[in-house]
Amino acid sequence: MSMVPSAKSAGALYWPVQARRNIGVRSLFLVVLAFLVAYGVLFPGLFTASGFAKFTQSWFPLALVAMAQAILMLTGGISLAIGATVSLGAVIAATTMAGPLGVAGGVAIVVLAGLGIGAATGFIVVKLRLPAIVVTLAGSFIIGGAALLILPRPGGAIPAWLSDLLAGDTPAAFVLLVVIVLLWKLYLATPLGLSLYAAGENPVGAYRSGVPVDAARVAAYAISGLLSTGAGLFVAAQTGSGDPVIGTAFTLNSIAAAVLGGIGFLGGQGTMRGALAGSLLLSLMISVMFFLGFTPVAQYVAQGLIIIGAVAIPQFRKVQP
Amino acid sequence: MKKSSLFASASALCLGLVLAVSTGTAANAAANCIKGDRKPPYTIGWADIYSVPTWMKQTQGTIEAEVETLKKQGLVDKLVVTDAQGDANVQIQQIQSMIDSNVDAIILIAGSSTAPARVLADACAKGIAIINFDSLVDTDKVTAKVNTDSSQWGDQAAKFLISAIGGKGKILILNGPAGISVSDDRRKGADAELKAHPDVKVLAETNTPYNVAPAQEAVTSLLFANPEIDGILSLGGALSAGAVLALDKQGRDQVPITGENARQFLELWKEKGLKSWATMQPNWLGAFAAYTAVQALQGKDVPAFVKIPLPVIDNSNIDEYLARAKDFPADGYIYSPYDEELFKKLLAQK
Repeated sequence: MSMVPSAKSAGALYWPVQARRNIGVRSLFLVVLAFLVAYGVLFPGLFTASGFAKFTQSWFPLALVAMAQAILMLTGGISLAIGATVSLGAVIAATTMAGPLGVAGGVAIVVLAGLGIGAATGFIVVKLRLPAIVVTLAGSFIIGGAALLILPRPGGAIPAWLSDLLAGDTPAAFVLLVVIVLLWKLYLATPLGLSLYAAGENPVGAYRSGVPVDAARVAAYAISGLLSTGAGLFVAAQTGSGDPVIGTAFTLNSIAAAVLGGIGFLGGQGTMRGALAGSLLLSLMISVMFFLGFTPVAQYVAQGLIIIGAVAIPQFRKVQP
Repeated sequence: MKKSSLFASASALCLGLVLAVSTGTAANAAANCIKGDRKPPYTIGWADIYSVPTWMKQTQGTIEAEVETLKKQGLVDKLVVTDAQGDANVQIQQIQSMIDSNVDAIILIAGSSTAPARVLADACAKGIAIINFDSLVDTDKVTAKVNTDSSQWGDQAAKFLISAIGGKGKILILNGPAGISVSDDRRKGADAELKAHPDVKVLAETNTPYNVAPAQEAVTSLLFANPEIDGILSLGGALSAGAVLALDKQGRDQVPITGENARQFLELWKEKGLKSWATMQPNWLGAFAAYTAVQALQGKDVPAFVKIPLPVIDNSNIDEYLARAKDFPADGYIYSPYDEELFKKLLAQK
């Protein structure tokens, strides 16, 4: 049953490997597809340019934080500071972009803050050998506090043209997401990217084989921080302003999306496409349940059932001989 | 009979309002966002930020009751309810879904004072009546905003407390969560009074969710650190209940405290014989929002901002509130009575 690739050349190997990686998430893809079809039937406006744009815009920040969480979980780490980092990215964008620094300056600071916070967290976790869950929990208070210091209450502003560009009636968010996924593919081809899975699955073995385990893990935290503040920037653009607590819910949702996407807590298991599909399902669920006319109480129950269902389907398949 | 007595007490509570009412003229200008192309019966979308807290459930109760009334009048045929589970991003997505499904009106309590501004502008452009109450959004692209004045709340609470402790003494200040506009506004409203009385020393401030347990915990630890406390400026009802319980459990004497119409606090007030003052964020803001949305859709002019006068509870009228306590959940809020007459007067005020 398993596909043994006939290793003739690297090119011939690529697609069978990709196909094998899909096995764990195939059923999730089917569930997501079913929800997409249901959404399209319930709301035909989805297939207009602006309908598609609005839908991808509500998914986009969740997709970014799912990636931010997934890259850490692949290395055996986790972050409880993702929500706070999204908030920080949002308030930095909302307080700098309308000022003398302009959009370019604002983007630069958001990028630097994300990379810096991520790298610092990664350094503490990896070099000081402290548990990621404790470090990032503490980090979430520090980062969340910093966001409240920068902007004690919702406010600030994003230039209207940037909001219209990123979150107007064009699918700019979707294009950005495609670019980010391609960059991720490229990153996986670099030495640090290649080390990512090895560092997560078997750090000691990888280290003995000469894999730069520590560097790969610190880099993962830095990228995760960048994706988080980037999601914050997008949320600020989408809402036209900054809110120091806007990101809070993203911490749990990012973990939910990653786990739903088949990323294991122990590192080295899962794929980014799974995490993205997981985030898409979480986002689709909200809209589909609305159009089905579920009451809020029924939504709580349905949400739980869908998540359990999506996670359980691959397990059923494994149990079958 | 019941209705008229309800109205009598409502007008007693809102005396200033009743005096201020002038003869409302039927203006011909339509309200903001209204294009006049939507015909009854209307579909109303209620974009709730978080349906679980009792205050929210009670508020939804008043909305459902109002919608039932409007249904009987043939003005509304459907109420669509969403729950963002506290996530402002989800609320934006749900408001977008309401626009996509072409509801006629959206009433909302915002999860963020800034975040929904752009999606609401989209809804406004489609001629959807938007009534924003309680937690407001900083935007003009809504039909009307409805709220009490949070800053006045803080100011009046501070005035009461400072006079109750004789203009000097050591106090604690209990706030709602940090970074939330309502909590921030109430606190800022108290500033002027506190500055005017330099002998009132603020020992410590807390930021907790508007729930009894966290407030009780926070106050308990402050009691250990501060043997001498003359008064507590609490800017939320559950916070006050938490503080009273904390003082009680520690065997400390009760001190003057401000609060809100939380049933638990009002009952503790009576039980402990407190000298206190409370105001409220009336739950019927929800019913009023639904009523206002339908008025606007029918082409009536509604003010862009409807300021709801703060009803005051003090030792003179607390018994009137407690007499109705059994009609409210044990952890709920005893709101002042309301009826359509009151709504009409509120909309007619300039």
